[in-house]
Amino acid sequence: MILSHFTALLIFALIVSTVFGLITKNEPREQFRYGVFVFLSFLAAAFVVGWLMYPLPL
Amino acid sequence: MDQSKEQIGSASESPSLKSKPMNMAATIAICSTGWLVPGLAHVLIGRWIRGLIFAACVLVMFSLGIAMHGELYDSSFDQLLDFFGFIANLGAGLAYWAAAGSGIGVGTMTWPSYDYGTKFLVVAGLLNYLIILDAFDIAQGRKP
Repeated sequence: MILSHFTALLIFALIVSTVFGLITKNEPREQFRYGVFVFLSFLAAAFVVGWLMYPLPL
Repeated sequence: MDQSKEQIGSASESPSLKSKPMNMAATIAICSTGWLVPGLAHVLIGRWIRGLIFAACVLVMFSLGIAMHGELYDSSFDQLLDFFGFIANLGAGLAYWAAAGSGIGVGTMTWPSYDYGTKFLVVAGLLNYLIILDAFDIAQGRKP
């Protein structure tokens, strides 16, 4: 199986945010909101770091 | 009140466990089963919905890591960082032993997603360690 970087990132963020949401919070609404927050944070961090590295000669 | 009954893995699944913590020996035994089979500890203490979700998360991530030709670390490591990778991989429990014993998880370094797969395998084990700690807290009555 070959996944693109972004697809791998999406799956990784989805699984990790699900576990973090369930572990960290107790109420279902809080679990969902925190899970979404972690998921979006993963995506945002990936985009920011990606653009920061864009000009680097790698 | 209805909302509390809908909680995923809430105390409503096993109301008696919230008020009465388990003894340490039983807690350790349950956490050990949770290490061997991800999510099983939560199932055994009555949080079966949460346990099934956890099992799905860990096993899907582990399977994807294998499918992406990721590498499992073994106990014969040359570098210190490999040792940490081995400890992380061990977190997947029986899935690690099954994969390592059957010869899969060797890793194909030239495969395009080899590095992603290796990280998936590492994180699957690390997530299971967090899940075990969550089960420990619930069994000890520290979490609702």
